[in-house]
Amino acid sequence: MSTALRNVGALARRELAFFFNSPIAYIAITVFLAVCGVQLFVIHDFFGDNQATLRPLFEQIPLFFILYLPAIAMRLISEERRAGTIELLVTLPVTDTQIVLGKFVGALAFLAITLGATLVFPLIVGTIGDLDAGVVIGSYLGLFLVGAAYLAIGLMTSTWTKNQIVAFIVAVLLCAFFYGVDAMVASFWEGGRDAMAALSFKAHFTNIARGVVDTRDLVFYASVVAVALVAAKLSLEARNWRQA
Amino acid sequence: MIEVRDLTKTYDQIEALKGISFSVARGEIVGFLGPNGAGKSTTMKILTCFMPQSGGSVRVDGHDVNDDPLAVRRKIGYLPESTPLYPEMLVYDYLKWVADLRGVPRAQVAERIRKVAKMCGLSDRLAQTIGTLSKGYKQRVGLAQALIHDPEVLILDEPTSGLDPNQIVEIRNLIRDLGKDRTIILSTHNLPEVMATCTRMLIVHRGRLVADGTPAELQAREEDHPRVRVVVEGATVDDAKQALSDIEGVDEVRPALTAQDGAVALELVGAKGAEFRGEVFRRVVDRGWKLVELHREVLDLEGIFRKLTQEV
Repeated sequence: MSTALRNVGALARRELAFFFNSPIAYIAITVFLAVCGVQLFVIHDFFGDNQATLRPLFEQIPLFFILYLPAIAMRLISEERRAGTIELLVTLPVTDTQIVLGKFVGALAFLAITLGATLVFPLIVGTIGDLDAGVVIGSYLGLFLVGAAYLAIGLMTSTWTKNQIVAFIVAVLLCAFFYGVDAMVASFWEGGRDAMAALSFKAHFTNIARGVVDTRDLVFYASVVAVALVAAKLSLEARNWRQA
Repeated sequence: MIEVRDLTKTYDQIEALKGISFSVARGEIVGFLGPNGAGKSTTMKILTCFMPQSGGSVRVDGHDVNDDPLAVRRKIGYLPESTPLYPEMLVYDYLKWVADLRGVPRAQVAERIRKVAKMCGLSDRLAQTIGTLSKGYKQRVGLAQALIHDPEVLILDEPTSGLDPNQIVEIRNLIRDLGKDRTIILSTHNLPEVMATCTRMLIVHRGRLVADGTPAELQAREEDHPRVRVVVEGATVDDAKQALSDIEGVDEVRPALTAQDGAVALELVGAKGAEFRGEVFRRVVDRGWKLVELHREVLDLEGIFRKLTQEV
Protein backbone atom coordinates (compact mmCIF):
# COMPACT_ATOMS: atom_id res chain seq x y z
CA MET A 1 0.00 0.00 0.00
CA SER A 2 2.81 2.39 0.83
CA THR A 3 4.30 1.85 -2.64
CA ALA A 4 0.93 2.79 -4.15
CA LEU A 5 0.94 6.02 -2.14
CA ARG A 6 4.54 6.74 -3.04
CA ASN A 7 3.77 6.17 -6.73
CA VAL A 8 0.67 8.38 -6.72
CA GLY A 9 2.62 11.05 -4.81
CA ALA A 10 5.55 10.96 -7.25
CA LEU A 11 3.21 11.14 -10.27
CA ALA A 12 1.18 14.00 -8.74
CA ARG A 13 4.28 16.00 -7.79
CA ARG A 14 5.62 15.75 -11.34
CA GLU A 15 2.38 17.15 -12.76
CA LEU A 16 2.35 20.04 -10.31
CA ALA A 17 6.04 20.74 -10.89
CA PHE A 18 5.35 20.88 -14.64
CA PHE A 19 3.06 23.89 -14.14
CA PHE A 20 5.21 25.72 -11.65
CA ASN A 21 8.56 25.13 -13.39
CA SER A 22 7.25 27.03 -16.37
CA PRO A 23 5.44 30.36 -16.67
CA ILE A 24 2.16 28.52 -17.37
CA ALA A 25 0.95 28.37 -13.77
CA TYR A 26 1.75 31.99 -12.99
CA ILE A 27 0.15 33.29 -16.16
CA ALA A 28 -2.94 31.09 -15.78
CA ILE A 29 -3.52 32.06 -12.14
CA THR A 30 -2.91 35.76 -12.81
CA VAL A 31 -5.37 35.77 -15.71
CA PHE A 32 -7.89 33.86 -13.62
CA LEU A 33 -7.64 36.37 -10.76
CA ALA A 34 -7.97 39.26 -13.22
CA VAL A 35 -11.14 37.76 -14.70
CA CYS A 36 -12.55 37.27 -11.20
CA GLY A 37 -11.68 40.88 -10.29
CA VAL A 38 -13.36 42.23 -13.41
CA GLN A 39 -16.45 40.15 -12.69
CA LEU A 40 -16.69 41.32 -9.08
CA PHE A 41 -15.75 44.98 -9.32
CA VAL A 42 -16.60 45.98 -12.91
CA ILE A 43 -19.37 43.79 -14.27
CA HIS A 44 -21.16 43.40 -10.97
CA ASP A 45 -20.34 46.89 -9.66
CA PHE A 46 -19.55 45.69 -6.15
CA PHE A 47 -19.16 49.18 -4.65
CA GLY A 48 -22.31 50.58 -6.27
CA ASP A 49 -24.25 47.60 -4.91
CA ASN A 50 -23.16 48.44 -1.38
CA GLN A 51 -23.47 44.85 -0.03
CA ALA A 52 -20.68 42.78 1.51
CA THR A 53 -21.37 39.64 -0.49
CA LEU A 54 -19.27 37.60 -2.87
CA ARG A 55 -22.18 35.67 -4.34
CA PRO A 56 -22.03 37.48 -7.69
CA LEU A 57 -18.44 36.24 -8.02
CA PHE A 58 -18.83 32.70 -6.68
CA GLU A 59 -21.85 32.11 -8.93
CA GLN A 60 -19.77 32.86 -12.01
CA ILE A 61 -16.60 30.94 -11.14
CA PRO A 62 -18.02 27.52 -12.20
CA LEU A 63 -18.63 29.13 -15.58
CA PHE A 64 -15.02 30.40 -15.79
CA PHE A 65 -13.83 26.96 -14.73
CA ILE A 66 -15.45 25.45 -17.86
CA LEU A 67 -12.63 27.00 -19.88
CA TYR A 68 -9.92 27.16 -17.22
CA LEU A 69 -9.81 23.61 -15.88
CA PRO A 70 -10.07 21.65 -19.16
CA ALA A 71 -7.10 23.77 -20.28
CA ILE A 72 -5.19 22.53 -17.24
CA ALA A 73 -6.24 18.89 -17.71
CA MET A 74 -5.95 18.58 -21.49
CA ARG A 75 -2.28 17.66 -21.61
CA LEU A 76 -2.26 15.15 -18.75
CA ILE A 77 -2.31 11.98 -20.88
CA SER A 78 -2.55 13.24 -24.47
CA GLU A 79 0.88 14.89 -24.26
CA GLU A 80 2.43 11.62 -23.01
CA ARG A 81 0.91 9.89 -26.01
CA ARG A 82 2.05 12.52 -28.47
CA ALA A 83 5.62 12.65 -27.17
CA GLY A 84 5.88 8.87 -26.72
CA THR A 85 6.76 9.18 -23.02
CA ILE A 86 3.70 7.02 -22.33
CA GLU A 87 5.86 4.04 -23.31
CA LEU A 88 8.27 4.63 -20.44
CA LEU A 89 5.49 5.58 -18.05
CA VAL A 90 3.42 2.43 -18.49
CA THR A 91 6.45 0.13 -18.49
CA LEU A 92 7.37 1.36 -15.01
CA PRO A 93 6.04 -0.88 -12.24
CA VAL A 94 2.98 1.32 -11.66
CA THR A 95 -0.64 0.35 -12.27
CA ASP A 96 -2.95 2.22 -14.62
CA THR A 97 -5.07 3.21 -11.61
CA GLN A 98 -2.04 4.78 -9.95
CA ILE A 99 -1.25 6.72 -13.12
CA VAL A 100 -4.82 8.08 -13.36
CA LEU A 101 -4.95 8.93 -9.65
CA GLY A 102 -1.50 10.53 -9.66
CA LYS A 103 -2.38 12.77 -12.60
CA PHE A 104 -5.74 13.64 -11.03
CA VAL A 105 -4.26 14.49 -7.64
CA GLY A 106 -1.64 16.69 -9.31
CA ALA A 107 -4.38 18.58 -11.15
CA LEU A 108 -6.47 18.85 -7.96
CA ALA A 109 -3.49 20.43 -6.21
CA PHE A 110 -3.37 23.01 -8.99
CA LEU A 111 -7.09 23.67 -8.50
CA ALA A 112 -6.54 24.09 -4.75
CA ILE A 113 -3.74 26.57 -5.36
CA THR A 114 -5.93 28.55 -7.77
CA LEU A 115 -8.75 28.66 -5.21
CA GLY A 116 -6.22 29.63 -2.56
CA ALA A 117 -5.21 32.63 -4.69
CA THR A 118 -8.84 33.77 -4.94
CA LEU A 119 -8.91 34.10 -1.13
CA VAL A 120 -7.78 37.70 -1.73
CA PHE A 121 -11.40 38.56 -2.56
CA PRO A 122 -12.99 37.40 0.73
CA LEU A 123 -10.03 38.96 2.58
CA ILE A 124 -10.60 42.36 0.92
CA VAL A 125 -14.36 42.26 1.27
CA GLY A 126 -14.11 40.96 4.83
CA THR A 127 -12.16 44.04 5.89
CA ILE A 128 -14.77 46.38 4.37
CA GLY A 129 -17.93 44.77 5.65
CA ASP A 130 -19.42 41.73 7.34
CA LEU A 131 -19.04 38.56 5.30
CA ASP A 132 -21.16 35.49 6.04
CA ALA A 133 -18.37 32.99 6.80
CA GLY A 134 -20.70 30.01 6.33
CA VAL A 135 -21.55 31.05 2.79
CA VAL A 136 -17.88 31.65 1.93
CA ILE A 137 -16.78 28.24 3.26
CA GLY A 138 -19.71 26.52 1.53
CA SER A 139 -18.90 28.28 -1.73
CA TYR A 140 -15.27 27.18 -1.60
CA LEU A 141 -16.29 23.60 -0.92
CA GLY A 142 -18.72 23.80 -3.85
CA LEU A 143 -16.10 25.31 -6.16
CA PHE A 144 -13.62 22.59 -5.24
CA LEU A 145 -16.18 19.88 -5.99
CA VAL A 146 -17.26 21.41 -9.32
CA GLY A 147 -13.60 21.87 -10.22
CA ALA A 148 -12.77 18.27 -9.32
CA ALA A 149 -15.59 17.09 -11.61
CA TYR A 150 -14.31 19.24 -14.50
CA LEU A 151 -10.74 18.01 -14.00
CA ALA A 152 -11.85 14.38 -13.97
CA ILE A 153 -13.75 14.97 -17.21
CA GLY A 154 -10.72 16.72 -18.70
CA LEU A 155 -8.45 13.85 -17.64
CA MET A 156 -10.87 11.39 -19.24
CA THR A 157 -10.95 13.19 -22.59
CA SER A 158 -7.16 13.53 -22.42
CA THR A 159 -6.85 9.73 -22.54
CA TRP A 160 -8.87 9.59 -25.75
CA THR A 161 -6.55 11.46 -28.10
CA LYS A 162 -2.96 12.50 -28.78
CA ASN A 163 -4.23 15.97 -29.58
CA GLN A 164 -4.50 18.33 -26.60
CA ILE A 165 -6.82 20.70 -28.44
CA VAL A 166 -9.29 17.94 -29.22
CA ALA A 167 -9.17 16.82 -25.59
CA PHE A 168 -9.78 20.43 -24.50
CA ILE A 169 -12.75 21.04 -26.81
CA VAL A 170 -14.49 17.77 -25.95
CA ALA A 171 -13.99 18.43 -22.22
CA VAL A 172 -15.36 21.99 -22.52
CA LEU A 173 -18.43 20.71 -24.37
CA LEU A 174 -19.06 17.98 -21.78
CA CYS A 175 -18.61 20.38 -18.84
CA ALA A 176 -20.82 23.03 -20.45
CA PHE A 177 -23.50 20.45 -21.22
CA PHE A 178 -23.67 19.15 -17.65
CA TYR A 179 -23.39 22.65 -16.22
CA GLY A 180 -26.52 23.90 -17.89
CA VAL A 181 -28.44 20.77 -18.82
CA ASP A 182 -31.48 21.79 -16.73
CA ALA A 183 -31.68 25.28 -18.26
CA MET A 184 -31.20 23.82 -21.72
CA VAL A 185 -34.03 21.33 -21.35
CA ALA A 186 -36.23 23.98 -19.72
CA SER A 187 -35.79 26.22 -22.76
CA PHE A 188 -38.06 23.94 -24.78
CA TRP A 189 -39.82 21.97 -22.05
CA GLU A 190 -40.28 23.71 -18.71
CA GLY A 191 -41.49 20.50 -17.07
CA GLY A 192 -38.07 18.86 -17.55
CA ARG A 193 -36.17 21.39 -15.49
CA ASP A 194 -36.55 19.67 -12.14
CA ALA A 195 -35.71 16.22 -13.46
CA MET A 196 -32.61 17.53 -15.24
CA ALA A 197 -31.49 19.51 -12.19
CA ALA A 198 -30.42 16.19 -10.70
CA LEU A 199 -27.73 16.02 -13.42
CA SER A 200 -26.80 19.70 -13.45
CA PHE A 201 -23.43 20.84 -12.12
CA LYS A 202 -24.93 24.27 -11.57
CA ALA A 203 -27.95 23.13 -9.56
CA HIS A 204 -25.82 21.01 -7.20
CA PHE A 205 -23.31 23.84 -6.84
CA THR A 206 -25.98 26.41 -6.00
CA ASN A 207 -27.17 24.24 -3.10
CA ILE A 208 -23.71 23.94 -1.55
CA ALA A 209 -22.85 27.60 -2.20
CA ARG A 210 -25.84 28.67 -0.14
CA GLY A 211 -24.04 27.10 2.80
CA VAL A 212 -26.31 24.04 2.84
CA VAL A 213 -24.10 20.97 2.57
CA ASP A 214 -26.36 18.11 1.55
CA THR A 215 -25.05 14.54 1.17
CA ARG A 216 -26.87 14.26 -2.16
CA ASP A 217 -24.74 17.03 -3.65
CA LEU A 218 -21.52 15.52 -2.30
CA VAL A 219 -22.48 12.08 -3.62
CA PHE A 220 -23.32 13.63 -6.99
CA TYR A 221 -19.88 15.17 -7.47
CA ALA A 222 -18.11 12.12 -6.08
CA SER A 223 -20.01 9.99 -8.61
CA VAL A 224 -19.10 12.23 -11.54
CA VAL A 225 -15.42 12.11 -10.52
CA ALA A 226 -15.54 8.33 -10.06
CA VAL A 227 -17.22 7.66 -13.41
CA ALA A 228 -14.81 9.92 -15.31
CA LEU A 229 -11.73 8.43 -13.61
CA VAL A 230 -12.87 4.86 -14.23
CA ALA A 231 -13.48 5.76 -17.89
CA ALA A 232 -9.99 7.28 -18.03
CA LYS A 233 -8.48 4.14 -16.54
CA LEU A 234 -10.33 1.89 -18.98
CA SER A 235 -9.21 3.99 -21.92
CA LEU A 236 -5.60 3.83 -20.73
CA GLU A 237 -5.93 0.10 -20.22
CA ALA A 238 -7.41 -0.44 -23.69
CA ARG A 239 -3.90 -0.86 -25.10
CA ASN A 240 -3.82 -4.18 -23.25
CA TRP A 241 -6.92 -5.58 -24.83
CA ARG A 242 -5.77 -8.40 -27.00
CA GLN A 243 -6.81 -8.51 -30.58
CA ALA A 244 -8.51 -11.76 -31.38
CA MET B 1 15.96 -15.64 -17.78
CA ILE B 2 13.83 -14.77 -20.81
CA GLU B 3 11.65 -17.36 -22.53
CA VAL B 4 9.83 -16.44 -25.71
CA ARG B 5 7.57 -19.07 -27.29
CA ASP B 6 5.79 -18.83 -30.65
CA LEU B 7 5.31 -15.10 -30.29
CA THR B 8 2.95 -13.52 -32.81
CA LYS B 9 1.67 -9.98 -33.17
CA THR B 10 -0.82 -8.62 -35.64
CA TYR B 11 -1.49 -4.88 -36.01
CA ASP B 12 -4.78 -4.37 -37.78
CA GLN B 13 -4.10 -6.41 -40.92
CA ILE B 14 -0.32 -6.53 -40.69
CA GLU B 15 1.48 -9.53 -39.23
CA ALA B 16 4.48 -7.97 -37.50
CA LEU B 17 5.60 -11.19 -35.79
CA LYS B 18 4.88 -14.60 -37.26
CA GLY B 19 5.99 -16.91 -34.49
CA ILE B 20 9.32 -16.19 -32.82
CA SER B 21 10.86 -18.43 -30.19
CA PHE B 22 14.11 -17.98 -28.31
CA SER B 23 15.45 -18.01 -24.80
CA VAL B 24 18.13 -15.92 -23.20
CA ALA B 25 20.19 -17.07 -20.23
CA ARG B 26 21.45 -14.89 -17.40
CA GLY B 27 24.63 -13.05 -18.36
CA GLU B 28 24.08 -13.14 -22.10
CA ILE B 29 24.29 -10.02 -24.24
CA VAL B 30 22.04 -10.66 -27.18
CA GLY B 31 22.09 -8.50 -30.29
CA PHE B 32 18.74 -8.30 -31.99
CA LEU B 33 19.26 -7.57 -35.67
CA GLY B 34 17.08 -7.05 -38.65
CA PRO B 35 16.07 -4.56 -41.29
CA ASN B 36 13.63 -1.79 -40.39
CA GLY B 37 10.18 -3.20 -39.79
CA ALA B 38 11.45 -6.73 -39.15
CA GLY B 39 9.81 -6.93 -35.73
CA LYS B 40 12.63 -5.95 -33.35
CA SER B 41 10.84 -3.12 -31.60
CA THR B 42 7.56 -5.04 -31.54
CA THR B 43 9.25 -7.92 -29.70
CA MET B 44 10.80 -5.49 -27.21
CA LYS B 45 7.51 -3.71 -26.59
CA ILE B 46 5.89 -7.06 -25.76
CA LEU B 47 8.80 -8.10 -23.51
CA THR B 48 8.48 -4.87 -21.52
CA CYS B 49 4.68 -5.23 -21.19
CA PHE B 50 4.00 -2.08 -23.21
CA MET B 51 1.58 -3.97 -25.40
CA PRO B 52 0.22 -7.49 -25.48
CA GLN B 53 1.11 -10.16 -28.00
CA SER B 54 -1.48 -11.69 -30.31
CA GLY B 55 -0.32 -15.23 -29.54
CA GLY B 56 2.44 -17.20 -27.85
CA SER B 57 3.98 -16.57 -24.46
CA VAL B 58 6.76 -14.56 -22.88
CA ARG B 59 8.23 -15.22 -19.45
CA VAL B 60 10.86 -13.12 -17.71
CA ASP B 61 12.56 -14.85 -14.77
CA GLY B 62 9.52 -17.13 -14.53
CA HIS B 63 6.90 -14.33 -14.58
CA ASP B 64 4.43 -14.29 -17.46
CA VAL B 65 4.05 -10.87 -19.12
CA ASN B 66 0.26 -11.18 -19.20
CA ASP B 67 -0.34 -12.70 -15.77
CA ASP B 68 2.14 -10.72 -13.72
CA PRO B 69 3.19 -7.63 -15.67
CA LEU B 70 4.25 -5.65 -12.58
CA ALA B 71 6.75 -8.34 -11.56
CA VAL B 72 8.16 -8.40 -15.09
CA ARG B 73 8.44 -4.61 -15.22
CA ARG B 74 10.28 -4.56 -11.88
CA LYS B 75 12.96 -6.88 -13.29
CA ILE B 76 13.50 -4.87 -16.45
CA GLY B 77 15.23 -1.63 -17.31
CA TYR B 78 13.98 -0.37 -20.66
CA LEU B 79 15.29 2.17 -23.14
CA PRO B 80 12.62 2.62 -25.82
CA GLU B 81 13.45 3.51 -29.39
CA SER B 82 13.97 7.29 -29.86
CA THR B 83 14.34 7.78 -26.07
CA PRO B 84 11.18 9.65 -25.05
CA LEU B 85 11.94 11.95 -22.08
CA TYR B 86 10.24 14.92 -20.40
CA PRO B 87 12.07 17.93 -21.85
CA GLU B 88 11.06 20.37 -19.08
CA MET B 89 12.56 18.34 -16.22
CA LEU B 90 16.06 18.58 -14.79
CA VAL B 91 18.15 15.46 -15.28
CA TYR B 92 18.40 14.97 -11.52
CA ASP B 93 14.66 15.43 -10.93
CA TYR B 94 13.85 13.02 -13.73
CA LEU B 95 16.15 10.30 -12.40
CA LYS B 96 14.74 10.82 -8.91
CA TRP B 97 11.20 10.52 -10.28
CA VAL B 98 12.02 7.24 -12.03
CA ALA B 99 13.79 5.97 -8.90
CA ASP B 100 10.68 6.73 -6.82
CA LEU B 101 8.39 4.90 -9.24
CA ARG B 102 10.89 2.05 -9.51
CA GLY B 103 10.68 1.58 -5.76
CA VAL B 104 14.32 2.39 -5.00
CA PRO B 105 14.46 2.74 -1.19
CA ARG B 106 14.30 6.45 -0.33
CA ALA B 107 17.58 6.40 1.58
CA GLN B 108 19.42 5.04 -1.46
CA VAL B 109 17.95 7.29 -4.15
CA ALA B 110 20.63 10.01 -4.03
CA GLU B 111 23.41 7.40 -4.01
CA ARG B 112 21.91 5.50 -6.98
CA ILE B 113 21.53 8.70 -8.99
CA ARG B 114 25.15 9.59 -8.31
CA LYS B 115 26.25 6.11 -9.35
CA VAL B 116 24.31 5.81 -12.63
CA ALA B 117 25.22 9.39 -13.52
CA LYS B 118 28.88 8.43 -13.15
CA MET B 119 28.45 5.24 -15.19
CA CYS B 120 26.71 7.11 -18.00
CA GLY B 121 29.00 10.16 -17.95
CA LEU B 122 26.25 12.49 -16.75
CA SER B 123 27.75 13.66 -13.46
CA ASP B 124 28.20 17.26 -14.62
CA ARG B 125 24.79 17.44 -16.33
CA LEU B 126 22.50 16.61 -13.42
CA ALA B 127 21.40 20.22 -12.94
CA GLN B 128 20.62 20.74 -16.62
CA THR B 129 17.16 20.73 -18.20
CA ILE B 130 16.69 17.62 -20.35
CA GLY B 131 15.35 19.64 -23.28
CA THR B 132 18.65 21.55 -23.57
CA LEU B 133 20.84 18.43 -23.78
CA SER B 134 22.39 17.19 -27.03
CA LYS B 135 21.15 13.95 -28.59
CA GLY B 136 24.06 12.01 -27.13
CA TYR B 137 23.40 13.23 -23.60
CA LYS B 138 19.68 12.53 -23.92
CA GLN B 139 20.56 8.99 -24.92
CA ARG B 140 22.68 8.72 -21.76
CA VAL B 141 19.79 9.97 -19.64
CA GLY B 142 17.65 7.26 -21.25
CA LEU B 143 20.25 4.68 -20.35
CA ALA B 144 20.65 6.06 -16.83
CA GLN B 145 16.92 5.80 -16.14
CA ALA B 146 16.99 2.19 -17.35
CA LEU B 147 19.78 1.43 -14.85
CA ILE B 148 18.53 3.37 -11.84
CA HIS B 149 17.06 0.35 -10.03
CA ASP B 150 19.98 -1.94 -10.91
CA PRO B 151 17.79 -4.27 -13.00
CA GLU B 152 18.62 -7.89 -13.79
CA VAL B 153 17.40 -7.51 -17.36
CA LEU B 154 18.14 -4.59 -19.68
CA ILE B 155 16.21 -4.09 -22.88
CA LEU B 156 17.74 -1.42 -25.08
CA ASP B 157 16.12 -0.44 -28.36
CA GLU B 158 18.88 1.04 -30.52
CA PRO B 159 21.02 2.34 -27.64
CA THR B 160 23.66 3.95 -29.87
CA SER B 161 21.50 5.61 -32.50
CA GLY B 162 22.31 9.28 -32.93
CA LEU B 163 25.64 9.09 -31.07
CA ASP B 164 29.01 10.14 -32.47
CA PRO B 165 31.75 7.50 -32.86
CA ASN B 166 33.42 8.33 -29.52
CA GLN B 167 30.15 8.12 -27.65
CA ILE B 168 29.32 4.84 -29.39
CA VAL B 169 32.55 3.32 -28.11
CA GLU B 170 31.81 4.56 -24.57
CA ILE B 171 28.29 3.16 -24.60
CA ARG B 172 29.51 -0.18 -26.00
CA ASN B 173 32.08 -0.46 -23.24
CA LEU B 174 29.40 0.37 -20.70
CA ILE B 175 27.07 -2.30 -22.13
CA ARG B 176 29.86 -4.89 -22.06
CA ASP B 177 30.58 -4.01 -18.43
CA LEU B 178 26.93 -4.18 -17.48
CA GLY B 179 26.55 -7.52 -19.25
CA LYS B 180 28.92 -9.25 -16.84
CA ASP B 181 26.16 -9.84 -14.31
CA ARG B 182 23.01 -8.96 -16.24
CA THR B 183 20.94 -10.16 -19.14
CA ILE B 184 20.88 -7.67 -21.98
CA ILE B 185 18.93 -7.58 -25.21
CA LEU B 186 19.82 -4.74 -27.53
CA SER B 187 18.53 -4.02 -30.98
CA THR B 188 20.55 -2.41 -33.70
CA HIS B 189 21.10 -2.41 -37.41
CA ASN B 190 24.75 -1.75 -36.84
CA LEU B 191 26.76 -4.94 -37.38
CA PRO B 192 30.10 -3.86 -35.92
CA GLU B 193 28.16 -3.09 -32.77
CA VAL B 194 27.03 -6.69 -32.47
CA MET B 195 30.57 -7.93 -33.04
CA ALA B 196 31.92 -5.54 -30.42
CA THR B 197 29.39 -6.11 -27.66
CA CYS B 198 27.24 -9.20 -28.07
CA THR B 199 27.83 -12.79 -27.11
CA ARG B 200 25.01 -13.93 -29.36
CA MET B 201 22.95 -12.63 -32.22
CA LEU B 202 19.36 -13.11 -33.27
CA ILE B 203 18.45 -12.04 -36.78
CA VAL B 204 14.79 -11.35 -37.50
CA HIS B 205 13.35 -10.79 -40.92
CA ARG B 206 9.71 -10.15 -41.76
CA GLY B 207 8.52 -11.32 -38.37
CA ARG B 208 10.51 -14.54 -38.32
CA LEU B 209 13.74 -15.55 -36.62
CA VAL B 210 16.18 -16.43 -39.42
CA ALA B 211 19.37 -16.95 -37.40
CA ASP B 212 20.39 -17.54 -33.81
CA GLY B 213 23.96 -18.08 -32.64
CA THR B 214 27.32 -16.53 -31.89
CA PRO B 215 28.82 -14.47 -34.71
CA ALA B 216 31.38 -17.26 -35.31
CA GLU B 217 28.69 -19.96 -35.48
CA LEU B 218 26.71 -18.00 -38.00
CA GLN B 219 29.78 -17.47 -40.13
CA ALA B 220 30.55 -21.18 -40.09
CA ARG B 221 26.98 -22.09 -40.91
CA GLU B 222 26.45 -19.72 -43.76
CA GLU B 223 29.64 -20.20 -45.73
CA ASP B 224 29.90 -23.95 -46.04
CA HIS B 225 30.37 -23.71 -49.81
CA PRO B 226 33.74 -22.03 -50.38
CA ARG B 227 34.02 -19.55 -53.24
CA VAL B 228 37.48 -18.88 -54.64
CA ARG B 229 38.36 -16.13 -57.04
CA VAL B 230 41.24 -16.82 -59.45
CA VAL B 231 42.80 -14.36 -61.89
CA VAL B 232 45.49 -15.59 -64.33
CA GLU B 233 47.45 -14.05 -67.19
CA GLY B 234 48.54 -15.86 -70.34
CA ALA B 235 45.58 -18.19 -70.75
CA THR B 236 42.27 -18.10 -72.59
CA VAL B 237 39.05 -18.44 -70.66
CA ASP B 238 38.41 -21.90 -72.10
CA ASP B 239 41.91 -23.18 -71.36
CA ALA B 240 41.76 -21.95 -67.81
CA LYS B 241 38.30 -23.37 -67.27
CA GLN B 242 39.38 -26.75 -68.60
CA ALA B 243 42.53 -26.83 -66.52
CA LEU B 244 40.75 -26.08 -63.25
CA SER B 245 37.35 -27.74 -63.59
CA ASP B 246 38.47 -31.27 -62.73
CA ILE B 247 40.17 -30.36 -59.43
CA GLU B 248 38.82 -32.47 -56.65
CA GLY B 249 36.24 -30.57 -54.59
CA VAL B 250 35.42 -28.04 -57.30
CA ASP B 251 31.76 -28.23 -58.29
CA GLU B 252 31.49 -25.35 -60.65
CA VAL B 253 33.72 -22.96 -62.55
CA ARG B 254 32.26 -19.75 -63.89
CA PRO B 255 33.74 -16.72 -65.56
CA ALA B 256 34.07 -13.64 -63.39
CA LEU B 257 34.87 -10.02 -64.11
CA THR B 258 38.27 -8.39 -63.87
CA ALA B 259 39.47 -4.89 -64.55
CA GLN B 260 42.85 -6.14 -65.69
CA ASP B 261 43.67 -6.19 -69.42
CA GLY B 262 44.63 -9.57 -70.84
CA ALA B 263 43.77 -11.42 -67.66
CA VAL B 264 41.12 -14.08 -67.14
CA ALA B 265 39.04 -14.21 -64.01
CA LEU B 266 37.15 -17.26 -62.76
CA GLU B 267 35.08 -18.07 -59.74
CA LEU B 268 35.31 -21.61 -58.40
CA VAL B 269 32.53 -22.87 -56.17
CA GLY B 270 33.51 -25.85 -54.10
CA ALA B 271 31.86 -28.65 -52.19
CA LYS B 272 31.07 -28.23 -48.52
CA GLY B 273 34.24 -27.80 -46.50
CA ALA B 274 36.53 -28.34 -49.53
CA GLU B 275 39.95 -26.70 -49.69
CA PHE B 276 41.60 -26.56 -53.13
CA ARG B 277 43.59 -23.35 -53.34
CA GLY B 278 46.95 -25.22 -53.29
CA GLU B 279 45.96 -27.35 -56.26
CA VAL B 280 44.80 -24.30 -58.22
CA PHE B 281 48.17 -22.66 -57.65
CA ARG B 282 50.10 -25.80 -58.74
CA ARG B 283 48.13 -26.23 -61.98
CA VAL B 284 48.43 -22.58 -62.98
CA VAL B 285 52.19 -22.63 -62.41
CA ASP B 286 52.58 -26.02 -64.24
CA ARG B 287 51.03 -24.54 -67.37
CA GLY B 288 53.34 -21.54 -67.28
CA TRP B 289 50.59 -19.00 -66.65
CA LYS B 290 50.96 -16.11 -64.30
CA LEU B 291 48.83 -16.22 -61.16
CA VAL B 292 47.66 -12.69 -60.42
CA GLU B 293 45.03 -13.30 -57.78
CA LEU B 294 43.91 -16.22 -55.65
CA HIS B 295 41.39 -15.30 -53.00
CA ARG B 296 38.81 -17.07 -50.91
CA GLU B 297 35.71 -14.92 -50.48
CA VAL B 298 34.93 -14.62 -46.79
CA LEU B 299 31.32 -14.08 -46.03
CA ASP B 300 31.49 -11.49 -43.27
CA LEU B 301 28.67 -10.65 -40.91
CA GLU B 302 27.36 -8.06 -43.31
CA GLY B 303 27.26 -10.67 -46.03
CA ILE B 304 25.42 -13.07 -43.74
CA PHE B 305 23.00 -10.35 -42.75
CA ARG B 306 22.29 -9.42 -46.36
CA LYS B 307 21.99 -13.06 -47.38
CA LEU B 308 19.48 -13.81 -44.63
CA THR B 309 17.41 -10.69 -45.01
CA GLN B 310 17.37 -10.21 -48.74
CA GLU B 311 13.98 -9.50 -50.22
CA VAL B 312 13.00 -12.70 -51.99
